[in-house]
Amino acid sequence: MKRADLQSNLAMTVTLIMGAMLFTTLFMGYAIYRSASTYWPPMGFAKVALGLPTFSTFLILVSSLFCYLARVATQVRKVEKARLYLHLTLILGLAFMLTQGFLWSHLKATGVYVSSGIFASILYGFTWIHAAHVILGLGTLLYLEIVLKNTSDSTIRKVINVEKFWHFLGIIWLIMYFTIFVL
Amino acid sequence: MGLFNMNVSSWWELSMPPKDISTHGHLIDHLWNYTTILCVFYFLLVCIGLFGFSFLYSRKRNKTPYYTYGNKKKHLLITAIIGAAVFLTIDLNITRIANNDLLNVFWKFPDPKTEKVIRVEVMAQQWMWSFRYAGPDNEFGTHDDVVTNNDLRVPVNTKIVFHLTSKDVIHSFFVPNVRLKVDTIPGRVTRVWWDVNVPGVYDIACAEMCGTNHYLMKAQLTVYTQEDFNRWLATSEQIALTTNDPDDKNLAWGWKWEN
Amino acid sequence: MSGGYNEIHPEPTTFISKYLISFDHKVIAKQFLWYGIFFLGLGGLMALLIRWTLAYPGVPFPVLGNLLFPDSAGIVPPDSYAMLFTMHGTIMIFYAITPILIGAFGNYCIPLMIGARDMAFPMLNMLSFWFAFLSGVVLITSLFLPLGAASGAWTSYPTLSTMIGSPGAGQTFWCVAIFLFGISSTMGAVNYVTTVITLRAPGMGYFDMPLTIWGLWLTAILNAIFVPVLGAGVILLTLDRVLGTTFFLAGASATSGSGDPVLFQHVFWIFGHPEVYILILPAWGIVSDLLSFFSRKPAFGAKSTALAMTAVTVLSTLVYGHHMFTTQMSPLLTQSFMTLTMTISIPSAIFFANWLGTIWKGSIRFDSPMLFSLGVVFVFGLGGLTGLHLGTVTTDLYLHDTYFVVGHFHYTMAASVLLGGFAGIYFWFPKMFGKMMNEKLAKLHFWGTMIPLNGVFFGMLMIGYGGMHRRIYNPFVYDSLKRLIPINEFVTISAILMGLFQIVFVINFLWSLKKGPKAPNNPWEVGTLEWTIPSPPVHHNYDEIPVVKCGPHELGNPNLKTGRDFQYQTEELVQG
Repeated sequence: MKRADLQSNLAMTVTLIMGAMLFTTLFMGYAIYRSASTYWPPMGFAKVALGLPTFSTFLILVSSLFCYLARVATQVRKVEKARLYLHLTLILGLAFMLTQGFLWSHLKATGVYVSSGIFASILYGFTWIHAAHVILGLGTLLYLEIVLKNTSDSTIRKVINVEKFWHFLGIIWLIMYFTIFVL
Repeated sequence: MGLFNMNVSSWWELSMPPKDISTHGHLIDHLWNYTTILCVFYFLLVCIGLFGFSFLYSRKRNKTPYYTYGNKKKHLLITAIIGAAVFLTIDLNITRIANNDLLNVFWKFPDPKTEKVIRVEVMAQQWMWSFRYAGPDNEFGTHDDVVTNNDLRVPVNTKIVFHLTSKDVIHSFFVPNVRLKVDTIPGRVTRVWWDVNVPGVYDIACAEMCGTNHYLMKAQLTVYTQEDFNRWLATSEQIALTTNDPDDKNLAWGWKWEN
Repeated sequence: MSGGYNEIHPEPTTFISKYLISFDHKVIAKQFLWYGIFFLGLGGLMALLIRWTLAYPGVPFPVLGNLLFPDSAGIVPPDSYAMLFTMHGTIMIFYAITPILIGAFGNYCIPLMIGARDMAFPMLNMLSFWFAFLSGVVLITSLFLPLGAASGAWTSYPTLSTMIGSPGAGQTFWCVAIFLFGISSTMGAVNYVTTVITLRAPGMGYFDMPLTIWGLWLTAILNAIFVPVLGAGVILLTLDRVLGTTFFLAGASATSGSGDPVLFQHVFWIFGHPEVYILILPAWGIVSDLLSFFSRKPAFGAKSTALAMTAVTVLSTLVYGHHMFTTQMSPLLTQSFMTLTMTISIPSAIFFANWLGTIWKGSIRFDSPMLFSLGVVFVFGLGGLTGLHLGTVTTDLYLHDTYFVVGHFHYTMAASVLLGGFAGIYFWFPKMFGKMMNEKLAKLHFWGTMIPLNGVFFGMLMIGYGGMHRRIYNPFVYDSLKRLIPINEFVTISAILMGLFQIVFVINFLWSLKKGPKAPNNPWEVGTLEWTIPSPPVHHNYDEIPVVKCGPHELGNPNLKTGRDFQYQTEELVQG
């Protein structure tokens, strides 16, 4: 079974590199926009209030913690416990999406529309692209809801891969949070 | 069809670049020639190997192939020498020459404060070139500017500095007889300078796909003698004073010149 | 459904599971092959439409003209012309070369040549094809939109490719199609990388792999890293077009806060330069192997060729700015990109030397795969060298966006990859389909392709040097370009000839499929693993997973006493 683990690891690593390259491109663009601008936010916009983004950061990080616990439980062959942590991961993931939704409507309410220029483009564009990947991640969690019924080696591999992707999403969000909202 | 009536030497002539009318265009032509001569040399070596070995070592002529992995010291040395030779003779040399030309000529913009320089602002748009001269007040964006469409006129033996931008999409200001081009980009100002020595009328082309009528985005470069240019400029400035409409938004594209 | 354990799975039985939704890498390879050949034909037709318009402006296109352009009496109108060169480039790069060289050869050759029963992830493989198929549907649909398909060139620079320059849905469909194709490519990349690393037969170290596999593997690595960069770029462009963001809008058109059109160029070429190496690496690998096979001696310096290809792969990531010299990046960036671009000459020269070393003192059989491989050496030598003129900033200031560039990349991409692809098709056809192709027709196809091809693309180099810029509908509005009409005509006639000779290939291919003589296991008498099994192979490829005992180019060993002049990779190396 060792080769299957190697294949699983390798494929997941390549997949994460691919995702990282996509987001790296976005962050590189952001660096260029920002360094070319004399002041930021440009065009008289105010920095986004940190309440909602901080809360979604908290949600996604805690859901990562539960995802990690789900994987550990699977590896020590405790299916029920693993399923519980999986439910919690999923719930918090959905809560993250809900919070993002509030963030977007809050932005609209304060006059920051998608077509409001480069600052808004980055806020909406980047968080939407991240959200699209979170939806993919939620899909993989739903898939686990269906298949996490045993703790066979093949199931463990699936959980490990979903966990890696979920952490990846959390890390990307963390970077976005710091570079776009905090700094 | 005309092509079958031509002989080789006229094909050769036809494929030469258009007449070089500039002071520094020959630098580019020389570098092209240098690169080409060396490339032809190495390509001939490749062809000699390719055709020569194909001839000498066909199955009919050579029944027993030479069983080698090509990984002995002498083999590796030969391939390394070939790689180094190509790099040292062509690559390093052309980089060095190009760098020199860039630093000493093409990137060395003349200073309007210390040299006689003609400044022209260029606005590219779908599908037209507009040129702006500062006029008697020497300021751009004022009502005495001379603005022409698709009609660039310059004197011989004077450095012309261009500041360019685009109104809509990316275009590229290409004057084949001068050998230079520079993109015009909306939202920023690009720059190029050159000087020309041969009076006459030449083509300016747009060298970046800019839409359906990209092929029609042609302008005319007229190179005058110094007297003819002064005469033309004086007349144009007088006409500009009377015809420039301060309310015409399409005319008001000039911007403050920053070196 | 994982073949990753090299298990033997039962054969599929229904039509759908055998030919449509297949998990068998050999079937998926053929799906990519048909797909690629279809688009090659479509892209080629577009090329002929372009060439006709350039050589004979104002003259209706023969036969199909009135059908395609009824409103303009069969003459290609300017806006359609822009769509034609945009779609020609897009189709040839993404929908012809990529499916044939990477989709078809990658899928077919990788498991067979490394001694595996299938790819590591057969379901992912199947999805990769169907995403590519979906992408092709989106692209072709865009041709029928009211305002037509994308027409801002395959490089789709903003702001021309934003709503400012390209109203209508065509460009948006293009972005979606490219994104879907990127998903297909990256799925394939995951599969190829993992399969080569984990499913090589016992005894096959990396340097025992055929160079074809090296080429395909390095291509997959580049694909994995850089396709997502393009993905990000087209997503942002789509957001600009559809939702009103301003990532790439600037100047008068950016009424709500400025973005940067040049940023798209950076993103595009960070992908775009590795992409051209993605397209050529499989062909380099195939040629490296075939030159050895048909010279009946080992590939000269095989290890250093593999390492040189790896060096080119790495360097290709550092040179993208040479596509942007006329955008006036900072002097430091400009000079750095020029210098880094030059370094690629070194590994390229090394494997050229190795290619010549391979045929040196060989005993050469001039079968069609060999003729095509020798052709690649010729055209890539020529084309690669013209890259030097373009990589040098000052000469590029004249040559950028002229036909010199078009000649250069067609020599290196179209000519080299096409000839390499044909070499591969003629070589592996017996294995894929169990029949032999007709060798006389193959040779006729070779000469009929090789000679006109040089006419077309060398002619383009000449026109470009003469100052004719590209992507223009009617060059002869410029007095200074009128003198180039005869050469343009020559290029078009060569292109038509070249197009006509492809019919020989199609006839040979289709006829041989039905009526070709049955192929033996090993018609070319070479030792890589795929030739140890029947033509075509059984569903699970290998009854027993082979154990590799020697390299892939063991030919001409004087110590061989078996009557063969080569050894299979499963045989112990015969020593003196």
